[in-house]
Amino acid sequence: MRPAMSETAPRPPRVILEEEAGPARLDHGWEGGTEPASIPSAGFSTLSLLAIGLSALILGFAALAAGNYVAEQFARAAWLGWLTLLVALGGFGTIFWAILREFRALLLLREVDAARAAFARGDFTGAKAHVLSWAEPIPLAAPFLPALREAPDLPALRALLESGPLASLDGESRLIGRLAAVQGFAATAISPSPALDALVVGWRGLRLVRQVAALHGMRPGIAATASLLRRAAFDAATVAATEVATDTAVRAIVSNPLVGHVVGEAATGAVAARRLITLARATSSACRILPTN
Amino acid sequence: MTPDPFRLITDAASRTGEAALALAGRERLRLAVTGLSRAGKTVFLTSLVANLVAAGAGRRTLPALEATSGRLRAARTVPPGVEATPRFDAEAHLAALAADPPEWPARTEDLSTLSVLLTLRRRGIYGQVLPDREVTLDLLDYPGEWLLDLPMFAQDFAEWSDATLARLSTGIRAAPAAEFLAFARALPANAPAEDSLARRGHALYRAFLLDARDRLGLRFLQPGRFLNPGPSGDAPLLWFFPLPSAARESPLGELLARRHEAYLRDQRDRFLDPVFRRFDRQVVLVDVLGALHAGREAFEDTAEALSAISATLRYGRGWLDLLTGAGIARVAFAATKADHVPEVSRDSLASLLSDLVDAPRRRAEIAGASVSVHPVAAIRCTQEATAAHEGRVAPAVRGVLLENGRWATVDPGLVPARRPPESFWNAAYFEMPVFRPPALEAGGRAGVPHLGLDGLLSTLLGDAL
Repeated sequence: MRPAMSETAPRPPRVILEEEAGPARLDHGWEGGTEPASIPSAGFSTLSLLAIGLSALILGFAALAAGNYVAEQFARAAWLGWLTLLVALGGFGTIFWAILREFRALLLLREVDAARAAFARGDFTGAKAHVLSWAEPIPLAAPFLPALREAPDLPALRALLESGPLASLDGESRLIGRLAAVQGFAATAISPSPALDALVVGWRGLRLVRQVAALHGMRPGIAATASLLRRAAFDAATVAATEVATDTAVRAIVSNPLVGHVVGEAATGAVAARRLITLARATSSACRILPTN
Repeated sequence: MTPDPFRLITDAASRTGEAALALAGRERLRLAVTGLSRAGKTVFLTSLVANLVAAGAGRRTLPALEATSGRLRAARTVPPGVEATPRFDAEAHLAALAADPPEWPARTEDLSTLSVLLTLRRRGIYGQVLPDREVTLDLLDYPGEWLLDLPMFAQDFAEWSDATLARLSTGIRAAPAAEFLAFARALPANAPAEDSLARRGHALYRAFLLDARDRLGLRFLQPGRFLNPGPSGDAPLLWFFPLPSAARESPLGELLARRHEAYLRDQRDRFLDPVFRRFDRQVVLVDVLGALHAGREAFEDTAEALSAISATLRYGRGWLDLLTGAGIARVAFAATKADHVPEVSRDSLASLLSDLVDAPRRRAEIAGASVSVHPVAAIRCTQEATAAHEGRVAPAVRGVLLENGRWATVDPGLVPARRPPESFWNAAYFEMPVFRPPALEAGGRAGVPHLGLDGLLSTLLGDAL
């Protein structure tokens, strides 16, 4: 027999059952409380707004003026009107086609973002859909499509992506980067002035970004290239950070007086070449459907 | 445990290899989760893994752990390789807790291991240019009953029998052990090595152990595999029992001594070597509240069991420990189920635990290990509430009961800040109800609501991350 609870104890332990039924589980609001902190998007930047307004004015007024002009031409003669309409449609059509292409390239970048978010959420169906629509236009990913379609779960999908299309894409990107580095180095070696060096390397860098993006199934125009460059600079900070060490080492070697005497002006070219390789890696990392591990 | 020169050399060799890997940014950290049976080891490990993995995905599940605020880039469980030990299935445990109706993990029956790989950005400005570090955290789950076998390694059959029989004859143990004691004392000085005698004695002793664990809430019960035979089940080497000195020279006594020796050898190979041979950090989980509510003897029994276990472990960082990796550098004592008391009582709970584990704490401190005490709830099942008592409002906790799904407010009563005086025990024998786990997301991507787990990890692992 256990002794009974004492009446003199200050506050005996007690269980008080509640009469009214509550929810089946206690909810601490834990899921919402632990959400990763995110900085809300400020919407369009001032520069973007200015650019949108300016383009709307230029294109809108140009279209209106063209309309007026076509109407005037029709008043003069029917055949003249038709010819003017054809020219106007051709011109504006090409412009709109370019804009559309630009937006599609930007949308593809969004696809990459959406797939990354789906992977982070652990949403298998969403991730699979995004991965498949991302992989379809990429020639390098074609042999892996059947396996990707059959992936049973998220880790398998991730592993298939890493070992298949992403491994090939990373390899190709490195190759393109190396080629650009060699070309950049050669160009700086023969260029007559340092100012021209910067121009050549800058142009080669831009082309490199577009080449790597094309490899990942994108056809970036000016806006998409700018967006990619921004992502390559910020999103892939880790890639750049690890590259800083190599960069410093290259600089230390080529700026050594003895080595410098031998290689002469080519030293700056070597640093620039090294940077092109970094740029290729950063761009590849920005276009990657899975974040670089 | 006698030092074995061959073992020391192999330990030192593997330690050197690990030190080289650590220099290359790949460290291995062994965390021993120690706790008597029902202290909550399995739930603790499940919550630890879920919250680390969630923190690796950017969630703020462990805010007090500095590494998780920006430097932890990823945390994932290491995929299974060719290990012979079963894998600790954190996902399955979590799914069972999140299921409807929910289930707390059953009693652990066997060893299981799991490693979590943490990818961390390095500290400081140079850290930015060096590649990320990878820290592998080795975790292990095992039946808590087996832990009480550790003190047995320091005793031979005669010493163990004397100590056990002395304990059995006093206090609340005496009544349930009466039948076994009567049988053992009646054995003649020349008892034959008859199997039926050994089996009978073993059955009576085992029945006592089960009764003492399940009904009396006692923990200092040896040998552990009598209570929890593990996956290999019953085997002849288990058929022994403590024998009074009068019959120890008999053929039966010799048989029992041989079995006792074989049992220890088997436990060393099966349990001690894989678990307690080498580890760097230790967390000791103690269900202080359960022990407090089970009465004075159960409370003191828990203290004695913890002291006996810790006496067998090696703390500190001597040169030999550094070489063989045998010393424990940091120890954290955790008063589990801290969510069963209101916030105002949690400091008292920690302070009570600190008093309860005074002897092992001092031993560890003197040896140079850093020691801390925390109130922890690996899964928080209650919220703060108040309960009226004789017209006065007292702080309490509120949650859903597991058995019938009804909401209940529980006032756990006074939690003393140190070992309570005699008068306190008049109000003991309260069985804390089992709460339902809170609403959880089955995949565990958001981690698990907890209390103080981050603070504990910060003091235990913070320096290594």
